[in-house]
Amino acid sequence: MKSVFPAVVALAALAVVVLVFRTPQRVLAASTASIAINVEHAAPREIEETTQKALGRDYATAWQTMTEALEQNRADLLSGNFIGTAGDKLTATIREQAKAGLHQHITDRGHVVDAVFYSPEGSAIELHDTAQLQIDVMDGSRVVHTENATVHYVALLTAAENSWKVRVLEAVPGF
Amino acid sequence: MTNDIEVKVKFGGMTAIVLLLMCCFAIATHAAELNVPATVTAGSGLTIPSSGSGSATLYVVGPGTAIKRQVQLGQGIQLSAEELQNAGRYVVALDGNTATFFVIAGPVQSIAFLARPSRVPADTPNVVTGTAFVFDKYQNLVLQPQPIKFELTANGQTVSRSETTKNGVAFAKLDSSKMEGPAQFVASSGAASVRRVVQEVASDPCSIRMTAVRDKNGILARTEPIHDCAGNPVPDGTIVTFTAADAKGKSTVDARIKQGVAEAELPASNNATISVASGVVVGNEIQWRGGQ
Repeated sequence: MKSVFPAVVALAALAVVVLVFRTPQRVLAASTASIAINVEHAAPREIEETTQKALGRDYATAWQTMTEALEQNRADLLSGNFIGTAGDKLTATIREQAKAGLHQHITDRGHVVDAVFYSPEGSAIELHDTAQLQIDVMDGSRVVHTENATVHYVALLTAAENSWKVRVLEAVPGF
Repeated sequence: MTNDIEVKVKFGGMTAIVLLLMCCFAIATHAAELNVPATVTAGSGLTIPSSGSGSATLYVVGPGTAIKRQVQLGQGIQLSAEELQNAGRYVVALDGNTATFFVIAGPVQSIAFLARPSRVPADTPNVVTGTAFVFDKYQNLVLQPQPIKFELTANGQTVSRSETTKNGVAFAKLDSSKMEGPAQFVASSGAASVRRVVQEVASDPCSIRMTAVRDKNGILARTEPIHDCAGNPVPDGTIVTFTAADAKGKSTVDARIKQGVAEAELPASNNATISVASGVVVGNEIQWRGGQ
């Protein structure tokens, strides 16, 4: 009996530590995704500094709106940042989630992004994004799947009037 | 006694860690029981084997898909071709077990083709750019390398370039043809093909030759028909600058080409140097001696 007591204490302490350190990170990550874009390998056109900044800002905003949209099942949030097939597929996901009573809680823990293609005329950019995510699939308030995952994405962004919009966003097994 | 307590505390801590690791291992082992392939081709469907008996709730969440339905354990669980059309990462949860797999794009079915610019000067190297993104029938970006051909045809003359896509995209820079006119710019991969029209127009003038005559208001300078170096007439509307310099100073008139020629009326003078230019091209110079 005496030998069990320290084990219970250790588990309780571990649980407290996990709760204390986990909750603030999730709150912070939900509000701001950290996006670092490396443009050194972009070709055939070089990416200018202003474009790099705009790209980082718009891609981070896109991720933030996507996680909110998937959590709240609100496709209307996507229109400012997603167009084309990316917008269509995310809208379909949200529609199907809402129909099934599901939603996703994605905690965005940051991205390492490489720009791999910038079209000669400057209207399209392809990114390779390695994202650190915590993904919870929820059935109502019940978690049916939870994982911490490193997910690789190929993203294609096109220039709109005053921002970059995500036209393709596909998770891939690797680069 | 103190040492005895320390040993017990250490032993208890160790036990807790071992228990925790065992729990984690048990969870991980249990989760691995759902057997799915690593990748599935878009639109091909999937059967997931299941064990046990009774019914359970199946969850599948992926791009464009969110499924919740009751399934019978012990039977193969079908995911239809329609449910797995979109490339990306799918999460499957069944009876406490979870797994992930990827749907990857199928063969090329369509091309998104950016051709720039829509209007280019004729007979100019690497002036037409084409960028092609290849997609399958479900609008998934095809990331496997694919052969792609770019062809630019104008006035029966074709320039072509074969490339291979990388990360779903290929591009080419092509020369414009010698003669002006609409050029057909085609990108094709397998049976997929997209056509754009690029208007090729005369480039900068090759040379400018003008004459000058006295008229009632001064000096009328007029060019001969202006062509580029390939013989194409330079488009109407192109600016030509006439300049007359004499002892009183310099007069400049910008005129547009109309029906192939440009003309301007310059102030009367008995001793002037008249020159003409368009863009970077400078034409002939006339020493005007009161019309002599």
